[in-house]
Amino acid sequence: MSSTDLIKVHLKVWRQDGPQAKGFFEDYTLDEVNTHMSFLEMLDVLNERLMKDKKEPIEFDHDCREGICGSCNLVINGVPHGPEMLTAACQLHMRHFKDGETITIEPWRATAFPIIKDLVVDRNAFDRIMSAGGYISVSTGNAPDANAIPISKPDSDSAMDYAVCIGCGACVAACPNSSASLFTGAKVSQLSRLPQGAPERKKRVIAMVDQMEKEGFGDCSNFAECEAVCPVGISITAIANMRTEYVKAVLG
Amino acid sequence: MSTIANALQSQVGRKILTGLTGIFLTLFLVAHLSGNLSLFIPDGGESFNLYADFLHSLGPLLWIAEIILVILFLTHAYLGVSIYLKKKRARPENYKYYKSQGGPSKQNFASTSMLISGSIILLFVVLHVMHFKYHLFSPETYMVEGTEMVDLARHVSEAFQNPWIVAAYTFVMVLIGVHLKHGVWSAFISLGAKNPKLTPVLYTVGGIVALLLSLGFLAIPLYIFINGGL
Amino acid sequence: MEVADKKYTFNWDNKIPTGPVEKKWSTHKNNIKLVNPSNKRKYNIIVVGTGLAGASAAASLGELGYNVKAFCIQDSARRAHSIAAQGGINAAKNYQNDGDSIWRLFYDTVKGGDYRSREANVYRLAEVSNSIIDQCVAQGVPFAREYGGTLTNRSFGGAQLSRTFYARGQTGQQLLLGAYSALMKSMKSGKVAVHTREEMLELVTVDGEAKGIISRNLVTGKINRHAADAVLLCTGGYGNVFYLSTNAKNSNVTAAWRCHRKGALFANPSFTQIHPTCIPVSGEYQSKLTLMSESLRNDGRVWVPKKVNDKRHPNEIPEDERDYYLERIYPSFGNLVPRDVASRNAKIVCDEGRGVGETGLAVYLDFRDAIKRDGEDAIRDRYGNLFDMYHKITDDNPYKLPMRIYPAVHYTMGGLWVDYNLMTTVPGLFALGEANFSDHGANRLGASALMQGLADGYFVIPYTIGNYLAETKPGQITTDHAAFDQVEKEITEEISKLLSIKGSKTILDFHRQLGKIMWDKVGMSRDEDGLKQAIAEIQALRKEFWTDVFVPGKAATYNKYLEYALRVADFLELGELMARDALERKESCGGHFRLESQTPEGEAKRDDENYSHVSAWEFKGKDAEPVEHREPLEFENVKLTQRSYK
Repeated sequence: MSSTDLIKVHLKVWRQDGPQAKGFFEDYTLDEVNTHMSFLEMLDVLNERLMKDKKEPIEFDHDCREGICGSCNLVINGVPHGPEMLTAACQLHMRHFKDGETITIEPWRATAFPIIKDLVVDRNAFDRIMSAGGYISVSTGNAPDANAIPISKPDSDSAMDYAVCIGCGACVAACPNSSASLFTGAKVSQLSRLPQGAPERKKRVIAMVDQMEKEGFGDCSNFAECEAVCPVGISITAIANMRTEYVKAVLG
Repeated sequence: MSTIANALQSQVGRKILTGLTGIFLTLFLVAHLSGNLSLFIPDGGESFNLYADFLHSLGPLLWIAEIILVILFLTHAYLGVSIYLKKKRARPENYKYYKSQGGPSKQNFASTSMLISGSIILLFVVLHVMHFKYHLFSPETYMVEGTEMVDLARHVSEAFQNPWIVAAYTFVMVLIGVHLKHGVWSAFISLGAKNPKLTPVLYTVGGIVALLLSLGFLAIPLYIFINGGL
Repeated sequence: MEVADKKYTFNWDNKIPTGPVEKKWSTHKNNIKLVNPSNKRKYNIIVVGTGLAGASAAASLGELGYNVKAFCIQDSARRAHSIAAQGGINAAKNYQNDGDSIWRLFYDTVKGGDYRSREANVYRLAEVSNSIIDQCVAQGVPFAREYGGTLTNRSFGGAQLSRTFYARGQTGQQLLLGAYSALMKSMKSGKVAVHTREEMLELVTVDGEAKGIISRNLVTGKINRHAADAVLLCTGGYGNVFYLSTNAKNSNVTAAWRCHRKGALFANPSFTQIHPTCIPVSGEYQSKLTLMSESLRNDGRVWVPKKVNDKRHPNEIPEDERDYYLERIYPSFGNLVPRDVASRNAKIVCDEGRGVGETGLAVYLDFRDAIKRDGEDAIRDRYGNLFDMYHKITDDNPYKLPMRIYPAVHYTMGGLWVDYNLMTTVPGLFALGEANFSDHGANRLGASALMQGLADGYFVIPYTIGNYLAETKPGQITTDHAAFDQVEKEITEEISKLLSIKGSKTILDFHRQLGKIMWDKVGMSRDEDGLKQAIAEIQALRKEFWTDVFVPGKAATYNKYLEYALRVADFLELGELMARDALERKESCGGHFRLESQTPEGEAKRDDENYSHVSAWEFKGKDAEPVEHREPLEFENVKLTQRSYK
């Protein structure tokens, strides 16, 4: 186990009172940050200090702190989820920062993800994209035996590669165009790889793409920044899949 | 069909159209360059002039081709601008501090400057057509074998001895390379290239295509300038 | 015996159908009252929580035609903590041809629960387990498969069969996303309205029946009223009473506790599962513990040095100086003993001073031999994401070094008391999944939580709710009823009170302190003195909380620390009840280990004569002692034996 170090960090944190309020950066300094701390634990420590001083703590979303629930949404030093690839902010540890470093923290920024307070944003737009078609319409009790339809291991594995999306929205946050194509593409790709998804294949992709547009997400310009920040490493192949699915749906 | 019309206006449709028009424009550049390279045949520009003459002899066919090209250009440009405007609406308040994660990201000077490089290229195309097609800047004709025709080769040769023109062309040809570096790859992805093992290859291929086209077009003005004529 | 002196009565009917255990559920289904399809739309049902139980229930009830309102505290239903379950889900498919059956799954689960669960409930769980797998596959859940295209299985702690279905190390995520997608489908059809970032703070009862809830919109702070004909609590467990646990930070007991205060009995509150394979604590700032799936024990070998206080690098400790204590003590189950056994043994070796790592509170889980046997690629294929996660958190590479693990609070078997229909003692109030107590007895087997959550939501409640609704006139109570006024007033006053204290200690200070009391005295092993101390300490802490806590901000805004304060306030009441329950149960069983009740070899010693019952606690007022009721457990099919995994 690597040894414990204490580092000093300067923070520039985005504070914003409410959706309509004007936001600003507030500066804080933490003198002794244990490098084994997670990034969110560092914020906990800061909030404890603020409250001891009877000040309002920084609001940020978090829940599982295991990198799976997709709640955390911090843009750290200009990158959604921070400098480590394949790592959600909650799994980022302070050992990746230097002593004396200044760290900026901003919320996801996109019209479709309005800011609620400080670093907390509203991501219900993703639910609505899912609701537009991100499912297989099988009512409870209607299912045949699980082994009735064999699915090749490569297909199943490939579906799983896309299914691991945690819905955090880093793809949108990082995209210069604020596109939700990676999120939508991942679900379309997962379900298009499975025979169960076939009956609604055409309807699904058109509905989800339409919804993405309605929510005010931008277009995809193939920057692949989404793939670079995705904490579970979903490939932009998902987007290419979505496009071919879309063309097939329209033409076929 | 209305579904297709709707589809073309969707995010996916727009991107596919951008990719398709981009690929056709790139193919046009390939054709254009192959014709231009005939300038390097050491016959005092005769082959080049014959090629130009052949194109003119196509008459209405050439017109159709030119109209298609204009449509491709304008569609491509319109889509580019509309994507840019949507992007502005999709994030009205920008990050105060923003950085690319690197790794698989294709965010770089080429990809983030598509609108600027594209706009400059569009402006250039207008001037270029005025310059060499309509001879607005040097409208002389010559008699060759009894018929009046343009000695385009000489025209080109003279133009590229002007350092300002060479500088301007060099700048734009580099920009075309930059635009294509992201554009070619992006078109592949937009049109559904899906093999994750293949995408890095495609990116390299895109870069090579961009480089070759850029160098090919650059070779002509630079050669003429350095050589002091054809 | 003291027990014999006290008279415990149980005045509630658990509604267990008569007849042989194999027939009970089908008989019951045939006798359940039905709600006419055209009448279903007249009934409003509230589902609180959108984890496996909540999402599956809300979607299924919506499909049946009921009007459903689903509530979750997260910004999306998909973030419920079921998402974090890693290992798998059990089902008696017998796809491996290793002799599995509904009976065996039933038997293993009752035995694994150390004979403190109801046979009838567990049998039903095993019975519907197969339908769950079918349902999930139909939804597009990408379970692991063989090359031939069929589903594959792995084995899990406490079972000698391969019956666990899995999707890499993210089974919970995939199952939840399946249920969530069904929920999104129902949302689109208009049958389910999903209220995100809205927390249930109180139950509203009229004439003793559940008729709605009071909730707080977590974005605006607005207190809202929702009336309904039935309320389903699918709010998960209360492991966060220990402060450090593997639960998500926002997991809490509030909804269940408020229902308890409104009359729902709380059953077996002290039955807590301590999971043996978690990443050890690294410092005071630690905010939560991370579980490493127990599936790791399939290939990893647990050991500590034979010598006390051996500070050598693990790779330098030779084979003959390592104590593979689980393999040594339990030769037939080895590293796959149930969770409680594995956890307690880890504590024992650490207490002996043989623990490893900086704190000495850890044991090794070593993959060296498995990597040697199957190759690094095979291990990566099986556990890649778990290894990555471990590496990320600890900065150690588990392909090269053994993992360090230590037990942590993971699951609570206790919960609201429910009858066979999953209804609590408050008519119209149901509890599903981890929020109820019903299926796991004193210890839950691995890969059974996902099974229970989905069984309750997909295949039990859609039938059993009919029994209640068929006898209830729909829409009798609206939100302008006086009961809503009263409860809303109470909760508004409580919030103002919390905000007005402006004390000197933070909410976290109190939560941490409570956690320490719970872990030390109501944790892995318990004794009478410790439990009595715990009760006194928690009472004092609770008093201090209400006079000296600092809650920042205002009521009518987004205010996460206010949410937190309300939750900690309820944990401070629950903690005491857990200690009381542990104190009254003077036997050891499953996850509940009383130092006073052990065999000469130090194994848990059950007392079936006096404690073969469910302890169901009745709330009698904030400062009054709760009253214990005992529902006797009868075993007609399973032979009670002292569990032995040797």
